[in-house]
Amino acid sequence: MENVQLTVSDFVALVNQTLEYAYPVVTIVGEVAEFRVSQGKWVSFKLKDDDAVVDCFMSVYQLRIPIENGMKIMVSAAPRVNAKWGKFSLNIRSVKPVGEGSIKKGFELLKAKLEAEGLFAPERKRRLPRVPRRVGVITSTESAAYADFCKIVNERWGGLAIDVAHTQVQGDPAADQIIRALKYFNSLEDLPEVVVIIRGGGSAEDLMTFNDELLAREIAASRIPTLVGVGHEVDHTLADMVADVRAATPTNAAEILVPDKGEIIRSVRQQVTLAGHRVMTAIDQHIARTHDQLQMALRRISERLNDANDRLAVLRVAVNQVNPEAVLKRGYALLRGEVAPGKVIEIETYKTYISAEVKDVRKK
Amino acid sequence: MSEKNNTVQDKLTRLSELVAWFQSPAFALEEATERFQQAEALAEEIEKDLTKLKNDITVVAKRFDSDES
Repeated sequence: MENVQLTVSDFVALVNQTLEYAYPVVTIVGEVAEFRVSQGKWVSFKLKDDDAVVDCFMSVYQLRIPIENGMKIMVSAAPRVNAKWGKFSLNIRSVKPVGEGSIKKGFELLKAKLEAEGLFAPERKRRLPRVPRRVGVITSTESAAYADFCKIVNERWGGLAIDVAHTQVQGDPAADQIIRALKYFNSLEDLPEVVVIIRGGGSAEDLMTFNDELLAREIAASRIPTLVGVGHEVDHTLADMVADVRAATPTNAAEILVPDKGEIIRSVRQQVTLAGHRVMTAIDQHIARTHDQLQMALRRISERLNDANDRLAVLRVAVNQVNPEAVLKRGYALLRGEVAPGKVIEIETYKTYISAEVKDVRKK
Repeated sequence: MSEKNNTVQDKLTRLSELVAWFQSPAFALEEATERFQQAEALAEEIEKDLTKLKNDITVVAKRFDSDES
C-alpha cells in the first residue's frame, strides 16, 4: 500500500472495510461516561476503563435498557471510523448492564420511567376470564418451567385450546422473539383470551430479557390480557409489573389461569348436599307443623267429648228421677187392669207383683 | 374442546341457579324433590365432564427467531 495514493475518503472507506472484515461485531465491557441523548433520537457516550476510552453511538430505539454515567455495561458493536469527523467510534447494536449493581441500576431507571408513564397503574390491569377457552403461551418448550406449567394446567382443568409459541427466554434474541410471539397472538383473527409468558428461575442476568423496555411496552400494549410468571417468588421483572396479572412462578401462572377441577367438583357436591339439607329441613318442619295441627285437633275433640259427657251426666240424673223403678223403690205401687168391682187387677211394688179383686170403686 | 368447556360453564351456572332456589323465598316443598333431582343429575354430569375433558396443546409452527420467519 506504500505506493498507492488514496484520497481521504478512499482511505477511510478502506479502513472501515478492513475493520468490518476483521471485526464485524465486537463485544466490549466498560464504564459509561458522558452519556447524552440528542434530538431525542441519537445516543452518544464514552466507554472507558482505567487506561482507554472509545466513543460510542447508537439510536435511541436500540437502547433497550436505560443507562447512565458510571454504569458498567457490555456492548455489542461494529467499530468504524466516521468519515465526516475522522473519529474512531463504535456503532452500538445492543447494550446490557454488567454486574449486579449495574443490572439493578438499569432496572430501577427503567422502572421509574415506565411507572411515570403509568404503565404499572392498577386501573390498567384487566381481569382474566375465570375459565378461558383459548390460551396463548410464550415460552421455551424445552424448559422445565413449560413442562411444569403443562402438568399443573392438565391436572387442574380440561377442554382448553392452548397454542404455544416457542421462543428463547434468555440471551440477546429472547426479548425480540417474545415480542414477535406477542405480536403474532395479537394479530390472530380468533384472539386467545389470555397470553401467558413463562420462564423458570435463573440469575439476574438470565432474567434480564424480561426487563427489556420494548418487551415491557409490548406487554403493556397487548390487546389480549397478559399473565406473566417469570423466575421465583422473589424475582420481580418489568414484564410482570406491566402484565395484567403477575404470577410468582410458572406453576403459579397455571394455578391462576384455570380453577382446580377437584375443588369445583367438591363445591358442586357441597351445593347439592346443602340443597338436600334444605329439603330435609323443610320436610322436618312440615312434619312438625302437621304434628302440632294434629295435636291441636285432638285436644279440641277431647274437649268436645268432655263437654258431651258432662251434659250426659246431668241428663242421666234427670232421667233417673223420673224412672218408675225409682218411684216404686220409694214405696209407691203401679196398678194395671180394669178398676171395677169384681175385676182382678195387678199391683206392682218394688219387689212384688200382687193380684187383687176390686171390691168397691168410689169417686173421690 | 372449548365448546365443551362452555357447556361445563353453562352447567355450573345452571346448578348455581337451581341451588339458589332452595334458599330463596320461592322455595316450596311440593317442587323441591323434582328440583333436587335435577340438581343431583346436573352435578353428576358436571363431575363426569370435568373428569373426561382433556386439554389440546399445540406448538405454533411459526418461528419467531427473525422478522421474516
